[in-house]
Amino acid sequence: NDCYSQSYPQLYEPGQRSLYFSKGAFIKCALHSCYSSLVLFFVPYAAVRDSVSTDGHDIADHQSFALLTQTCLTVTVCVQLGLDLSYWTAVNHLFVWGSLGMYFLVTFTMQSDGLHRLYASSFPFVGTAHNSLDQVTVWLTVLLTAVLCVLPVVVHRFLFMQLNPTINDKAQPPPPRRRARIRRSSTRCSGYAFSYAYGYGDLVTSKRFLRRPVPLRSAGSTPAGRSAAFRPAGRSAGYSPSGQ
Amino acid sequence: KYKLDNRKSNVDMFNLTGPSRTNRPDNTAFTQQRLPAWQPILSAGIVIPGFTLIGLAFIGVGVALFVTSQKITDLEIDYTGVAATSPCFKCTSFAAENCMCQMEFTLTTLFEGPVFFYYGLTSYYQNFRTYGVSKDGYQLSGDTYYFNNPQDSCAPYQYDSNNNPIVPCGSIANSMFSDTFQLYQVVNGMKKQVPLDGKGIAWWTDYNIKYSNPALVNGSFANAFSGTVKPVNWSKPVYELDPTDQANNGFLNQNFLVWMRQAALPKFQKLYGRIAEGDYAQGLPAGNYTLLINYSYPVISFGGTKKVVLSNVSWMGGKNQFLGIAYLVIGSLCIVMAMVMLIIYAKYKFTDDDEDM
Repeated sequence: NDCYSQSYPQLYEPGQRSLYFSKGAFIKCALHSCYSSLVLFFVPYAAVRDSVSTDGHDIADHQSFALLTQTCLTVTVCVQLGLDLSYWTAVNHLFVWGSLGMYFLVTFTMQSDGLHRLYASSFPFVGTAHNSLDQVTVWLTVLLTAVLCVLPVVVHRFLFMQLNPTINDKAQPPPPRRRARIRRSSTRCSGYAFSYAYGYGDLVTSKRFLRRPVPLRSAGSTPAGRSAAFRPAGRSAGYSPSGQ
Repeated sequence: KYKLDNRKSNVDMFNLTGPSRTNRPDNTAFTQQRLPAWQPILSAGIVIPGFTLIGLAFIGVGVALFVTSQKITDLEIDYTGVAATSPCFKCTSFAAENCMCQMEFTLTTLFEGPVFFYYGLTSYYQNFRTYGVSKDGYQLSGDTYYFNNPQDSCAPYQYDSNNNPIVPCGSIANSMFSDTFQLYQVVNGMKKQVPLDGKGIAWWTDYNIKYSNPALVNGSFANAFSGTVKPVNWSKPVYELDPTDQANNGFLNQNFLVWMRQAALPKFQKLYGRIAEGDYAQGLPAGNYTLLINYSYPVISFGGTKKVVLSNVSWMGGKNQFLGIAYLVIGSLCIVMAMVMLIIYAKYKFTDDDEDM
């Protein structure tokens, strides 16, 4: 909010330097898209090629294949979206789960018998959802594509957070464990002659002073309901710049 | 926003009770973006155990899929007749009409039932766009107006050379697969027919909802199609596809419905029948078999092949190695990545802690 934006002006630097919207960020996005597109076609292709359903019927027909690819895509996009959303309010929950639910609702409605009877030429996919979405292999394929598309992004982000933390990564609260350690009496020899506890001196003198939130209780504005810590973790398209 | 009114004093610019007050948004949690939120962070405590769990789950599923796929048996018999030594070579010349050929095969163990009998084609692009739209949905749902006025999407299989309307029109119907098969088991030198059940091989929705026959005219099904001609490549008209069983005749013929369900890939197999009755309810016992084929469908001109596939199914459908192997590979990769991330995290964590001291 406005209080934290004023307290941490360094967070504006990446945007001013166009670090989120650079050629490098664009190429990374394009590469990820190419990879996802290839996965989203070839995994369903390989999964239904030469295969049949559990009662011997066709599973590799044009309409079922289209529905399978479409379902893989929608689920993968929702999972990737969930990964990018760093701030899940009730509104976010509604729209993400709602999108997924709406997709299945609309699919089943459009491929239902009733609508086909009303407007046959507009709803030629009658029966496709019913016949293919009860196959275990279809759902396993959806899960596989979602995992294949999303997990590399998770690995990439986690490794870059460890190896090359950006200003957004650094502006995180200290993990609860560390805070508890501060309040307990230390078990190791401390450099502080006059304290039993670990103290706050290391935080002040270390490079990670940003991690300690400045207590701004006076204005009466409390941060987001559940957590009192400051976690600005916004990312545009998930490709945060390296360095500060 | 507010107007700078010259009549008022400068103090009014900071007056909080003026017009600027009414444009201020409400101080609720929703409008001030203070809704209670869950803020997941990609911390090591979540990512590394998460990857390990996903890896183990995937390996488990992969093993189950792979083992199941290995247990499914399938048998392919290519009868295109390209090689001169093939029994069906004699049928490949254009002059051959109503040619019958026999392929022999042997089963060494019991082929567990229910056994599904498919015909397979390769290099056959049913997914070609203009081919796929070349049909008349109104004709196929029994609308007789379109019998005499087929839709333009069916061109060039819309009217024949004498300008008679074709029913069913279009490329998909015209290219219907026309080979027929009979399977015999050779027992003591005698051929014993293996019954092929052709009921219910098409989707229920195709048979009951999507396609329907026109009403009988004067008690005759053929009269419903008067004034129309059969597709160019067919040997008999649509109302004679199964004269013995009206429930399997016309547009509701199971083989016709199976063919009309356009395949997505150039190498496909379509269900022809089920072996699940009589002596063969448990499957095909070991022994010698003869497949008698009425070879009439030409594929050599475009480099395609024809084959018969016998297969049984399981909870994961037909035989498909890909899913099992993919799950095993991804599961192993997840566990490897979890270990890599753990090493990197531990290394950098201890480096950071050393710096603090």
